[in-house]
Amino acid sequence: MNDQVISAGTGGWLALGLLLLSVLPGAMPQAEAAIQGRLGTDNADCLRCHRMETLGYRDPRTGDLVDLHVDGRQFGHSAHGELQCIDCHEGDFGQYPHPESVLGQQLDCVGCHQELHKADKRAYTFKTIEQEFALSIHAVSDSPKAEGFDCHRCHDPHAFRNSEVGQPIAEIVRAGNQLCLSCHKKIRDPHSTAHLWLPKRDKHWQSVRCLDCHTPLTDPGQPVSHQILAAKDSNFDCVSCHSKEARLLGRLYQYRSETDLAGGGWLSKAVFNEAYVVGMSRSPLLDALGLGVIGLTLLVLIAHGWGRYRAYRRLREDRS
Amino acid sequence: MSALYLYPRWLRAWHWINALLFLVLMYTGASMHFGEGGWLMPFDLAVTVHNTAGILLTLGWIGFVVGNLTTENGRHYRIHLSGFVDRLIVQGRYYAQGIFRNEPHPFHVSVGMKFNTLQQLSYLGVMFGLMPLLILSGWAFLFSVSLPETLLGLPSVWLVAMAHLTLAYLLVLFLLVHMYIITTGETVTTNLRAMITGWHREDDPSSGQTEEAKS
Repeated sequence: MNDQVISAGTGGWLALGLLLLSVLPGAMPQAEAAIQGRLGTDNADCLRCHRMETLGYRDPRTGDLVDLHVDGRQFGHSAHGELQCIDCHEGDFGQYPHPESVLGQQLDCVGCHQELHKADKRAYTFKTIEQEFALSIHAVSDSPKAEGFDCHRCHDPHAFRNSEVGQPIAEIVRAGNQLCLSCHKKIRDPHSTAHLWLPKRDKHWQSVRCLDCHTPLTDPGQPVSHQILAAKDSNFDCVSCHSKEARLLGRLYQYRSETDLAGGGWLSKAVFNEAYVVGMSRSPLLDALGLGVIGLTLLVLIAHGWGRYRAYRRLREDRS
Repeated sequence: MSALYLYPRWLRAWHWINALLFLVLMYTGASMHFGEGGWLMPFDLAVTVHNTAGILLTLGWIGFVVGNLTTENGRHYRIHLSGFVDRLIVQGRYYAQGIFRNEPHPFHVSVGMKFNTLQQLSYLGVMFGLMPLLILSGWAFLFSVSLPETLLGLPSVWLVAMAHLTLAYLLVLFLLVHMYIITTGETVTTNLRAMITGWHREDDPSSGQTEEAKS
């Protein structure tokens, strides 16, 4: 998310928003229904108000526009799509105006996710994510923009879904980078000097995620770290990806697993294979040897041909 | 003038398709290996074309093997051990010395054997050694995400990449030498024309007839 922040602690302003909406001719019947009496607490009841795209307010403290809208369809497809709103937003939200006591909750993603079934058996535990994030530039930066940075800044709980095996790499890259660029807007400025050092900058942006360079290298098979690095600490070493270990294969390209290949048809996946990274096959020694031997052979063949031509000329002269 | 029909239609079709695929694979392979720029093909396109050509090369190679197992053409790849080393030395000496002294060819093409011993050895090595290894390493590349992390303690993708690269350089080398050696027939274009028409024609009638009679 960018400047639009979804917050659970904005009930008073929500009431004002609804009140304002209620005076709009088109919105009146729905808003009126919403502010009278007790509401239900299933998702349909919540979305009755929160599906309205105009539901929001401007925070007088920060001046930010706080968006209270939830796209029901997007939420249904999100990682949390099967949950009830009140699974996370605990309290008496069935009452409107929502009571002060339930507003301003700080939702604890890690706490909830750690309670999930077999959470501690995951190869990449939420405890690790928490530890990595604590070292992230988003957590340690003094910048006012990073103040209060939490999971929701990147992972919109109403929309976020994990990248999945079988998803096109380009789609994963686009979605991942969109998260970063929604805040880091200056990167997109045509006059920006960021990443100018990077050969084929636009190509890199299309082909790899910001995270692939702006996180520390992880062990093979591990996903990218949540320890987002500052620009100066990020990976400038081309051979981290363009090398014999080709770490991109273990990171971004983990999404191209066997099931992916089987699902998309092996021939199609073989032809439209995206796993080859420039430089993966580069070896200065083999290139020098290969090109050297080919060059020498070419010279020998030219010399041999010249010798044959001279022999032919001699034969012609002898015959004449 | 003697004329021997040595290259049936299926063999010539395979040969020229294979030659075209070789050129495509070399160009696209170089484009992928060295990255974009100059005369190279755009990377994304090169990958798709290289993969497609590699798959077609595999099919072609299977066709070649089946063709040689089921037709008489396979006999040209059977090594006759009797006098093998002597024939190898004679042929080698001809290419190194005799050819510059206008000596007669030590080998004469026949229905029974159209390759001299050096040719036979190199074609055997290429078609039944380098090609299957190149194809195997290419397919391993295509499905690199399914490879184990390491092989023999080394990153498996890197091993596959180095094998594929080495084999590719060796086959480029073969192509260069092959294109030169075919000019060493009775005339510069005798062998080339044979692979186009299927007929091996020589001016000296005795040589072909004699060898044909022997076979």
